[in-house]
Amino acid sequence: MRKILTIVAMVIFICACGSNSKQVPNWKDTAFRQLENYKVNFLTGKEDASEPHFDKAKKAIAGSNDLNLLARIYLNKYALHTAALEDFEDSEFVRINKIQPVASNFAYYNFLKGNFTIVEDDLLPSNYNGIIKNARNKDLAKASQEIPSITDPLSRLIACGIWAKYLPYDENILQLAINTSAENGWKRPLWAYLTKLQKYYLDRQETTKAENIKERLELLKK
Amino acid sequence: MSMSREYKVGLFIVCTTAVIFIALLYLAYEKGFFSTVHTFTLSSKTGEGFAEGMPVVFSGFNIGKVHELELNDKGIVLIKIKIPERHVKWVKADSSFVLYRPLIGAARILVTTDNLNSSPMPENKVSEVETINDINDAIQKVKPLLEKITQIAENLERLSRKVDAMAAKTDEQVFGKEGTLPQINKILKDVAGKLEKLNATVDNINKISKEASEGMKDFRSLRSDIDDTVKTLNDVAREIDAILSKKKEPEIKVP
Repeated sequence: MRKILTIVAMVIFICACGSNSKQVPNWKDTAFRQLENYKVNFLTGKEDASEPHFDKAKKAIAGSNDLNLLARIYLNKYALHTAALEDFEDSEFVRINKIQPVASNFAYYNFLKGNFTIVEDDLLPSNYNGIIKNARNKDLAKASQEIPSITDPLSRLIACGIWAKYLPYDENILQLAINTSAENGWKRPLWAYLTKLQKYYLDRQETTKAENIKERLELLKK
Repeated sequence: MSMSREYKVGLFIVCTTAVIFIALLYLAYEKGFFSTVHTFTLSSKTGEGFAEGMPVVFSGFNIGKVHELELNDKGIVLIKIKIPERHVKWVKADSSFVLYRPLIGAARILVTTDNLNSSPMPENKVSEVETINDINDAIQKVKPLLEKITQIAENLERLSRKVDAMAAKTDEQVFGKEGTLPQINKILKDVAGKLEKLNATVDNINKISKEASEGMKDFRSLRSDIDDTVKTLNDVAREIDAILSKKKEPEIKVP
């Protein structure tokens, strides 16, 4: 009796295996994995290792003839640069957007570029719904409350980056970005925000704090 | 009429003897045996170059010969020449006699007569013989040349000594211990040594290049193996994902 039950269970298991849902396309799987690897390498400061992953992701998507996905790949890249307080070269996205404009992509692009007035709120990822309004109003106090509530650390860091790049910021925003970077081991944005904080203190004549940050940076960079 | 054998033999001998005699007579006549020969006497301070039987030449033809050489009481050499009657017309009172000793050929006495209409030379007249000595002339002419050659030889010798000295110095400079050649040899040896080392290096480079090339083949093979393995692993992972149905379809979205 036990033998029969075992055989029935195995048959059911095998049938269950055979009746799986449709397979993920290989290119999509590759593009996704390469993009994730790119993000990790970029944020952890492995610049040399990050670019090949980005190229592989691009090539994988190029095979699908999907310009929307290609545009998103580029927007991911721009978002990472913004999170690390860096400028980015946007010509590729502009070209893609000319050929195949996608409203949500364009809205996100404008958000990253600091063109808050022309961004349609509902086209942005939901994480930034609260931030865009505050950004338009340049309401730092509300933003300081809103940004920490973003659960995804990368989105939180991007929000901090946009605020620090285009809007009047304070110590809290920078500190939030520093903490977020530090928690995740993201060296590249961490150093960028520490440098920004040092400059913030220097601008406000808080030399002790600035010196402290400088020494911390020197120790970290060793 | 028949003749006896003895008579015939006698007649043959007489005729033959007569023919031979006539032939000899004719020969003697032709050779001037029966002609008159004039003897003239010439003089010279030295008998050197003269010899009995020496030809006497007029315009390149033999007209006589030296018959006798004598030394008189004054120490003068008297040369008696005999000229046959038929040639005596070339010898006149104003003829001059020259002993010609060519560089090549036998010595001879040359007779020169400027005026053939002048009176014949009396046999008691003693004319002096001048001497043309090609050998001496040649020697005289060659002498300054020899002197010059000697000078040149001396100069050459001096030059040779200088060249020798210079050669010795050059030898020392070129072949001496500190000379050029040893230095060049040293440099060449050095260069050769370095080239040998370079050879080794080039060999090593070739070897490294070859090994690298072979290594690259291995790398390509390895890369292909790794690719295969990664692909297999990916496929397995994807299969497992599909079996477990835990993995959602990845969505590429903006962060």
